[in-house]
Amino acid sequence: MALSARSIYGLCFSVAAVAIVTGSIFAVRDYVPVLSLGVLYLPAVLAVAVFFGLVFAVAVSIASMLAFNFFFLPPVHTLALRDSENWFALGVYLVTAVVVSELAARSRRRAAEAQQREREATFLADVSGILLEAEHVQNRLKDVAAAAAAVLGVRAPRIELGSVRRSEPGEASADLQVGDRYVGRLFFAAGQSPRPAIAERVLPALASLLAVALDRERLSLAALEAETLRRSDAVKTAVLRAVSHDLRSPLTAIRAAGEGLDRNDLRLDEHDRAGLLQTITGEAARLERLVTNLIDLSRLEAGAARPRPELWTGDDLVGRALETLGPAADRVAVELPDEPVAALVDGAQIERVLVNLLENALKFASQEAPVAIQVRGERDELLIEVRDHGPGIPPEDLERIFEPFEQADDSAAGSGLGLAIASGFAQANGGRIWAEPAPDGGAVFTLAVPAADVPAPLRR
Amino acid sequence: MEAHVLVVDDEPQILRALQTNLRGAGYEVTTAATAEEALSAAAIGHPEAVILDLVLPDGRGTDVCRELRRWSSAPILVLSAVGDEHEKVAALDAGADDYVTKPFGMDELLARLRAALRRAAPSTEPVLEVGDLVVDLEKRRVTVGGREVALTPNEFELLRFFAQNEGKLLTHRAILREVWGHAYEVESHYIHVYVSQLRRKIETDPARPRYILTEPGAGYRLRAPS
Repeated sequence: MALSARSIYGLCFSVAAVAIVTGSIFAVRDYVPVLSLGVLYLPAVLAVAVFFGLVFAVAVSIASMLAFNFFFLPPVHTLALRDSENWFALGVYLVTAVVVSELAARSRRRAAEAQQREREATFLADVSGILLEAEHVQNRLKDVAAAAAAVLGVRAPRIELGSVRRSEPGEASADLQVGDRYVGRLFFAAGQSPRPAIAERVLPALASLLAVALDRERLSLAALEAETLRRSDAVKTAVLRAVSHDLRSPLTAIRAAGEGLDRNDLRLDEHDRAGLLQTITGEAARLERLVTNLIDLSRLEAGAARPRPELWTGDDLVGRALETLGPAADRVAVELPDEPVAALVDGAQIERVLVNLLENALKFASQEAPVAIQVRGERDELLIEVRDHGPGIPPEDLERIFEPFEQADDSAAGSGLGLAIASGFAQANGGRIWAEPAPDGGAVFTLAVPAADVPAPLRR
Repeated sequence: MEAHVLVVDDEPQILRALQTNLRGAGYEVTTAATAEEALSAAAIGHPEAVILDLVLPDGRGTDVCRELRRWSSAPILVLSAVGDEHEKVAALDAGADDYVTKPFGMDELLARLRAALRRAAPSTEPVLEVGDLVVDLEKRRVTVGGREVALTPNEFELLRFFAQNEGKLLTHRAILREVWGHAYEVESHYIHVYVSQLRRKIETDPARPRYILTEPGAGYRLRAPS
């Protein structure tokens, strides 16, 4: 049988202790009555009892007694135990050995226990930490399993939540269970089972932590879903309202005009017919704009409006917006910077932003007071300003107007979607929009997006 | 002359409206509602132009484009809807000549159709004139309204390609391939900056371009100002 390192140390220490004490007594026996020196073996017994336990302590007690007897007690160099004193000394050594080693062993056990508890507490604290900051419990299971393996003393750990898998050959498992609720299973390499006392404490605690984390994750998902639903509900309500009014009125006009043209019993001259036709095309265009806005808004609300960034210059973006505006663009005064400023944005989305800002501003434009759009680069941003000469916006409404279906002036035409869409697309492109009163009356809407460098090879 | 136009769309209302309007404009019209019908109608009738919806019940318009291009050079005009941008570009790259976005105006569709029918092979003239814009390919000189414009070599190549394909929609990919070569095909967004710079040189008001028009999500088109 191989001796453990600890027993070898114990053996060496014990032999050395007895030898040293014997040597010391030998050195001082001429000055001190030898009989009283027997007490010097006690520290050796004590030390061995404290560090190496009962077996070694008893062995040292006997060895001490024998050595004392053999070397110092007459008749010297015999092992005869004639006097009751010797028996008494042996008795004292043995009692000391038993009591002290038991006390030491107990305190060692306590210390080990305390250390294990501390490891377990640290482990549980670590796991709570990991799970608290985890967005998805599943993503952190590896870390949790590794920590559990360290505290349980097992290898190749793996936690499977809600697993129905049984352990395979070469694999052992422990259930993670809180009361009646089965949370999952901890798998580990077979061969090293955790100590039952530790497993009994650690596994249920681990299971509770996982259960709480899972519940929390589910709740936050549910909350997110509820919030999304609430928002989409708000959008639906708003859309319904828009549908009932804003979609119906152009439809009504188109239908009335169409039926008017269709009937033979109406006296319509060329002028009337042209008017009705104009109603149809005009109202169809209005419907088209509204439908485009509703689609944009629902895509933005659904988070589906992912931009496809390309390098556009301010010139281009304004140009595209003016082209889309059609004839109304004649009432817009444009100011471009001397050197083109570029930005990495989705051209179509920024075009929507500018068209919506311009359409909003054009409600107040006149021949004498056109809408102005100005492009400039400022610090690291491409700024596009749209300035109108309308009544301006009350300070308390400066932010509200970017909410869907909100308008500073409720009487104004349109469903109030334009600014919300503009703001949504601006944000999707890493930019922002704000409104402020213009110095000379009216309002200024500014779009700011991060400016991009024009790559050097392109300057050629 | 009555040009023969094949109209492909699975919406009967749109098909009827297009048919009526096109007949009224003097075209001979054949209709088809599916990809299969479209291909057989094209094989039998040899239309001079095709108006093709991108979304068909039995396939994608892009595949019809590709199939048609194998044996027909008739111009193809695709009808795309908002949200189809990707498909639209795919169709243009597969051989379609132009597109209109639904809902479209009839005037616009007719203008595009006329232009497509009129357009022949790219011009090989040494001096190209588009409105007031004159591009002399031999001398590499460009004038706008008689005033000479200094262009960088890349800008000149870009303008040459536009001028040789006057009126035709040029996709980003086609422009990159022609002007910068294959290696640059991926970096399509540099084009916008180049076009922007070119516009600053040849347009009177770069924010209201009259020559080089942006076709959102698809490419550019050089057109004589109306």
